[in-house]
Amino acid sequence: MPTISRRQALRQLGLVAAGLTAACTPMRVLVSAYPQAFDDDDGLVDRVLRAFVTAVIPGAPADDPDLVRAHTDPAYPFAQYAGFFAADLSRRAARRCDGRAFERLEVRERTAVIAEGLAADATTRKLYNGAIVLAQIAFYAGIYDPQKGCPAIGFEGGNHWHSLQDITYPDPERFLSRARTADGNYA
Amino acid sequence: MRTVHTDVLIIGTGFGAAAPALRLAEAGAKVVMVEKGPQVQTADFRQTSDPQYLLKYIKGTPGDHLSLTYAEALGGGSGFYEMVSLRAPSLVFDQVDAQGRRLWPRGLDRRVLDPYYDVAERMLHVSQIPLAEVPRTGLVFARLMKNLGYSVDRARYAVRGCQGSGFCVTGCIYGAKQSLFLNYLPQAVAAGAEIETDLEALSIESLPGVHRGRARLLANLPYRYQVLCRRRAGEREQVRFVARLVVLGAGTVGSATLLLRSRATLPLSSEHVGRNIAYNGSVKVAGLLPDSFPDADMFTGRSHPGMISYEFLESHGITVHGVKALPLMLVSAARMSLGDERRDPAWWGEPNVELMGQMRRRMIVLAAFGLTPPGASLAVSGAEETRVSLPLTSGLELYHEDTKRLLESILVRNDCRLVRTDFLDKSLAPEAGVHFSTAHQVGSCRMADAQSAGVVNANGEVFGCPGLYVSDGACIPSSLAVNTSLTILANAERIAAGMLDQYGLRRPVAA
Repeated sequence: MPTISRRQALRQLGLVAAGLTAACTPMRVLVSAYPQAFDDDDGLVDRVLRAFVTAVIPGAPADDPDLVRAHTDPAYPFAQYAGFFAADLSRRAARRCDGRAFERLEVRERTAVIAEGLAADATTRKLYNGAIVLAQIAFYAGIYDPQKGCPAIGFEGGNHWHSLQDITYPDPERFLSRARTADGNYA
Repeated sequence: MRTVHTDVLIIGTGFGAAAPALRLAEAGAKVVMVEKGPQVQTADFRQTSDPQYLLKYIKGTPGDHLSLTYAEALGGGSGFYEMVSLRAPSLVFDQVDAQGRRLWPRGLDRRVLDPYYDVAERMLHVSQIPLAEVPRTGLVFARLMKNLGYSVDRARYAVRGCQGSGFCVTGCIYGAKQSLFLNYLPQAVAAGAEIETDLEALSIESLPGVHRGRARLLANLPYRYQVLCRRRAGEREQVRFVARLVVLGAGTVGSATLLLRSRATLPLSSEHVGRNIAYNGSVKVAGLLPDSFPDADMFTGRSHPGMISYEFLESHGITVHGVKALPLMLVSAARMSLGDERRDPAWWGEPNVELMGQMRRRMIVLAAFGLTPPGASLAVSGAEETRVSLPLTSGLELYHEDTKRLLESILVRNDCRLVRTDFLDKSLAPEAGVHFSTAHQVGSCRMADAQSAGVVNANGEVFGCPGLYVSDGACIPSSLAVNTSLTILANAERIAAGMLDQYGLRRPVAA
């Protein structure tokens, strides 16, 4: 998983901040609160993100290798913020829950941490909002495994053949009301 | 730089481009088509929800209150459409603007287009879906309407041998959906047309003599336009095409963008380029079926569920459809929660998981396509960024509110539980206020009786630019209330027929 050094982070934040207003509190908060551990421990961001996704989607398999892949996939813009996002979750968790790590919290507590991020300033809210929707898209659509789909919602993915019996119902006339056209084209 | 001389240069390979290419090539003209997107064939398609695969072909234009989706690939949108192929109802052609002026050119109506619809339907093997093949979601939609005494009709599709896989919108891997690279384009090539893909038209320039008197025969026309193109891959080769006739078939966004970028090099006098975009005012609502209903199936069966209701066309100016969609499209389009959900958060966490678990079998989504006025505009910036803007009028807000209320009432009166849908913008944040999203955009270079009202005449020829045509969705002057592809194709057939007449070209007798 790609990690971002503190120096790279500051440079990126500088670029982002250049486009923001002068009163850029969230960016300052992120910079000052970005713990060294997120540079030193390659697995930390992954663990925090897994804890995040399993709070957003309770029941999602925590050991699924693709569970947090979208959040660190360079193909999507969120990847460059993954480290900051994980750090922000950890900081909020520590403050709310007596210094405990986000990834060690109960789902109920993690939910409260995420809700706090969603209620924060506009920039933070955007980050959290994007992280949640990205998790939902990746999981429910099964974007990394076209064959698997998403068993949780009965989505089989691609290349699963169905007979006509599976697609429709017998005696379809019973569903129909009158038609207004002879051939489907309205005059 | 390579220079290519041709009788006709056609920009684009989609529904508006394919018919002129085939008809002019059949008539003996030297035809070259240039396509910005990549070559694509049935074997290239995948049944996948990988956004990176889709983003190779599917593009978007974001904007205020409206976002547009289209495809860039050989065959334009035909590789990725839902293959719904319906004729525009007659009343569509009678729409008027705020001053009471007819939006369509005088004399152009359904009756005039019908012979060209016939041709287009034959070419794409369009037929009404057999009742025995209507997907479960379509039947459940029909039941919803039947319970309230409303009519439904089986829709029409461009398909032969549909397998019902549900992946129409990622490209049909069976070659059943009638994409243009299965019919029009290979026939055009067989008739002598050449197609170059990955080649983007950058600008059009009129050559000296463009205003010379009209020659009757194509062979006697001077070379009137040069079009500068650039290869999108490899060494970014530049190619200069010099043509007697140029046909823009690059789509509502592509054709208008190209004309806007060519303002300095074309004698364009119309102020309407990029304006007057109509978009079939699409409004969507969702609900969960009550226990008394059988299961729907969001994922299985063709992407469009087979049924359409014209019940409210004359009274409200809308058609109503059931919607099927892959999870990728649903989840990336809107965040969803039950309307009566008391738990917080509702759109993620346990409540959302419970809702998503019902998506496949118990969720029903309704969409309305409406005759909303052509009010949106494109803006092209120097950085090649195109945006669309839709001024939100009180009338439009009222349309959205009324239509949403009507659709919701269909669900509520059937005892469905409403699902709240907050539609998402490009950054995955909820859109503020009313927002329309569509792939049915038309009108950015609309046909009109005079250049004071549009960009091209009823023959598709750009006012002030003889020999320069727009034959795609850009020239369609109004919303259609039904899917747009068949009307774009039929109108392109009509424009092509007019070109054959104008330039003394005739189809071979054998054809």
